[in-house]
Amino acid sequence: MEKILSQEKLREWVDALDDCEVYAPAFADSVWNFARVKAGADIDLSHTNTIGSVKEFAFPQREVFFCFEKKDGVPVLTPTLPDPKPTVVFGVRPCDGRGMPRNDTVFNKEFEDPYYWARRNKLTLVGLACNQPHSPNCFCQSVGGSPHAEEGLDILMTDLGDRFHVKGVTAKGVEAMERGRDAFDAVSDADQAEVEKVHATSRSHSQRPLGNLDAIAEAIRESFDSPLWADMAQHCIGCGICTFLCPTCHCFDINDEVINPTTGEGERVRTWDNCQFPDFTMHTSGHNPRGDLGSRLRQRVSHKFLYFVENHKTQQCTGCGRCITECPVGIDIIAVLERVGQS
Amino acid sequence: MTDNIYLPKIGRIVGINEETLGARAIKTFKVEFPNGDGFEHNCGQCAMLSMFGKGESMISIASSPLVKEYKQFSIMKMGRVTSAFHAAKIGDFIGIRGPYGNQFPLDDWKGRDLVFIGGGVGLAPIWPVIQTAVARREDFGKITVFYGARTSSDIMYEADFEKLKASAEVQLSVDSPEEGWPGYTGFVPANLMDKAPTPDNAIAITCGPPIMIKFVIQNLQALGFADEQIYTTIENKMKCGVGKCGRCNVGKDYVCVKGPVYSWAELKSLPQEY
Amino acid sequence: MVNVEEIRGYAAGLLEKGEVKSVLGFRRGSASAFAEPCTLIEASDAASLVWDPTCLNNLALYLVKDRKQQAVSKTPDTRPVGIVAKGCDSRAIGVLLQENYFKREDVVVIGVSCEGTGVVDPRKLSAKLKGRTASRVTFDGADGINVSVYGDGTETVIPAREVLADRCLECRAATPTLNDVVFGETVEARGYNEPFHAAKEAEKVSEDERWANWEHHFDRCLRCFACRAVCPMCYCPECVVDSTTFVVTLGTSAEEKANRIRWCERSANTSESAVYHLTRAIHLAGRCIDCGECERVCPVNIPLRLLNTKLEKEAFEMFEYQAGHDIEQASLLSSFRDEDPNSFIR
Repeated sequence: MEKILSQEKLREWVDALDDCEVYAPAFADSVWNFARVKAGADIDLSHTNTIGSVKEFAFPQREVFFCFEKKDGVPVLTPTLPDPKPTVVFGVRPCDGRGMPRNDTVFNKEFEDPYYWARRNKLTLVGLACNQPHSPNCFCQSVGGSPHAEEGLDILMTDLGDRFHVKGVTAKGVEAMERGRDAFDAVSDADQAEVEKVHATSRSHSQRPLGNLDAIAEAIRESFDSPLWADMAQHCIGCGICTFLCPTCHCFDINDEVINPTTGEGERVRTWDNCQFPDFTMHTSGHNPRGDLGSRLRQRVSHKFLYFVENHKTQQCTGCGRCITECPVGIDIIAVLERVGQS
Repeated sequence: MTDNIYLPKIGRIVGINEETLGARAIKTFKVEFPNGDGFEHNCGQCAMLSMFGKGESMISIASSPLVKEYKQFSIMKMGRVTSAFHAAKIGDFIGIRGPYGNQFPLDDWKGRDLVFIGGGVGLAPIWPVIQTAVARREDFGKITVFYGARTSSDIMYEADFEKLKASAEVQLSVDSPEEGWPGYTGFVPANLMDKAPTPDNAIAITCGPPIMIKFVIQNLQALGFADEQIYTTIENKMKCGVGKCGRCNVGKDYVCVKGPVYSWAELKSLPQEY
Repeated sequence: MVNVEEIRGYAAGLLEKGEVKSVLGFRRGSASAFAEPCTLIEASDAASLVWDPTCLNNLALYLVKDRKQQAVSKTPDTRPVGIVAKGCDSRAIGVLLQENYFKREDVVVIGVSCEGTGVVDPRKLSAKLKGRTASRVTFDGADGINVSVYGDGTETVIPAREVLADRCLECRAATPTLNDVVFGETVEARGYNEPFHAAKEAEKVSEDERWANWEHHFDRCLRCFACRAVCPMCYCPECVVDSTTFVVTLGTSAEEKANRIRWCERSANTSESAVYHLTRAIHLAGRCIDCGECERVCPVNIPLRLLNTKLEKEAFEMFEYQAGHDIEQASLLSSFRDEDPNSFIR
């Protein structure tokens, strides 16, 4: 389904989704981030990209698995599977959209993750094509994506200035459009031509190239023992910015948090974790298979551009550029891949 | 509704055996499922054990798959969760989910000699294989079990070894001289070289401290064992057990799903990050 | 005006003469308009050094990192390290010297005067550009910052005081007091704002409102620990408030590991994140030299500097103490004077 939506009617559509929780990017505390939209009038799609990625709607930073307590000496576990309202997220950039199918793979695979899917199944992602790159570090086209890629999105919107072109990509997306059907107009031939022109222009902006991705995977495999990794991680501070902001990083920790030490009552909690932290791979004995920053940088890069490819035939990177832009010391995954490729 | 992969079943400790004492004591726990929701497992698989309020640890299942009534776990006191296990009493409840991981390909080894080489608590992961092989004695050729401990009082499953002698050759060793010790004195790899089992039509299965595994594999290769004839298990820090949390990731594998059992040939293709 | 050629020449000289094993400085990064840290080993590398208002990092962090590496190295290289330091960075080196983290002869401080201007706050700039990225940032030589916006190539001039980092607006010592050489003119602070201006402004708000603000900020914390990781004063091998840095060796006993207290859970929620940030602030009292790195690196822009400057303000008002200004002075928490106020002891 393809429709035209005028800028003024956007709020009408949002208001028609009143049985859903609606989120959209909002500029607060000097950063763009997803925030709850209470009314259509609040929506503002003039954003660049959000600082946090859309993954947090299915994989929140903190997820309680179950509560535990003791009754007559016997442990009683109460699962806390989430049961969210249908959630519609506006303003999802295509790079984030492409991240979600990659996360879906991880949370499916051999074992289905019920907490992820309880949220994911209620999620409708409304994408917004990027008419121009937001930063010099956008590289979606270098990893097989595009500024108007539909993969992972339920709806793709394209900003045509005074109006949006809105395309329902999945049944879920079409359904969300149906709910606001009065707000939409038919697509004229002129509209269609303009969408194509905007998309073509958006693809023509230069992005930093990565070259042949198969060659990169091979180069990573060959350079496992290379001193390059330690050199490139020389100024790494070992924080969690690159992975926490990444739309595809999914590693986590599980801990028991005791609420009442007397009764032993507490919660088992999943939290985001990060391959850059020192304890991530440390055995209880103190032995650490990745004990230095060089091997941790190698792991982050190898996982995205080699290991994930070996298992799932696609990169686990969608070129959003957050890890580059937000790194406090300028570690740049494109530059890293270039150097590995040249070695 | 799909199964909740993170929700443990409740197990009850019905037996505790002190295997070894000291700073890194080992105890073997016999666990039953009071709610009747136990599970079957294969040789080499692991289970995620919980002490609620402390956390979870991945522990290999040390009992034979042929034993259905209970599961057995030999646990060394190492950290938060294992210390809680060592403080537990008979009748205490634990959480348990699994089984996780792959298995030793016992069916592929029919008609072959089996050489087991274990050290310390590393006997636990290969113990179910030994038990199953002995129970299916006619399926295999000669069965030899090498096992070494620091001292004779550190030997695990001591009583079971006596029974084992009926169907397998048992070669025990202690690290340093002890008065009246009938077995070999010295490290496990040296004992292996001393007895020099033949590689012809044989499979070697080893588990123990990393340094022991390293020298055992060197010696097996010296004896003529090919990489495909050598099996071991690796362990990495694990949190989820279901191939998602990323901690045990080595190369393209999540050890909790693709491991812990690897032939040396397979292991050589992975980065050495374990 | 600072002539970057002079800095390059000096750094090359140090390396050539073998007076230092390396020089910590800034180079143009591949990732953004902002400079990134670099470690020079060869004199010929010195040509890559840059100096401009995008040299944000406090490189003293890497002196700490080097110390830690040498401590575990089988063949430690204990030759001195050269470091390009702004006024605030030199104070960080001062505190590390006061705390005996290393000795004065271990470091050659290549001081660079900010000449009363300072460095740009990337968040303020981002806010000005509504989230857009700058592709080039330079001083116009007077009171403005020239910015090229990425994408459409727009050129704008923004008044410096609108995009300079808060700490630079309040700076009391733009010229490195601790130094082996200083490039650029020694100037008094330009005085955009009085010292502790932001902290004083924050204090004007009611207690309830203040708490509501901090709750809002702590709730946004991702617990990526970048604030701690970037701080030269957060050198503890094991941070008391979180479990990700627990130091475990083969000799650590099971009891020690089992009984270790997690003062702060990994869950990012109000209480745990408040414990983390407030503990960190307290542990920096009398030690924070206001380089503002914690606030700069925060991906969600939590105003962490306010917590620290509030405590620095207390230290200044009660004890006339300024961290890192005088390395001969005993550090605040390890000294007592008869005239020290004691009204808080009840």
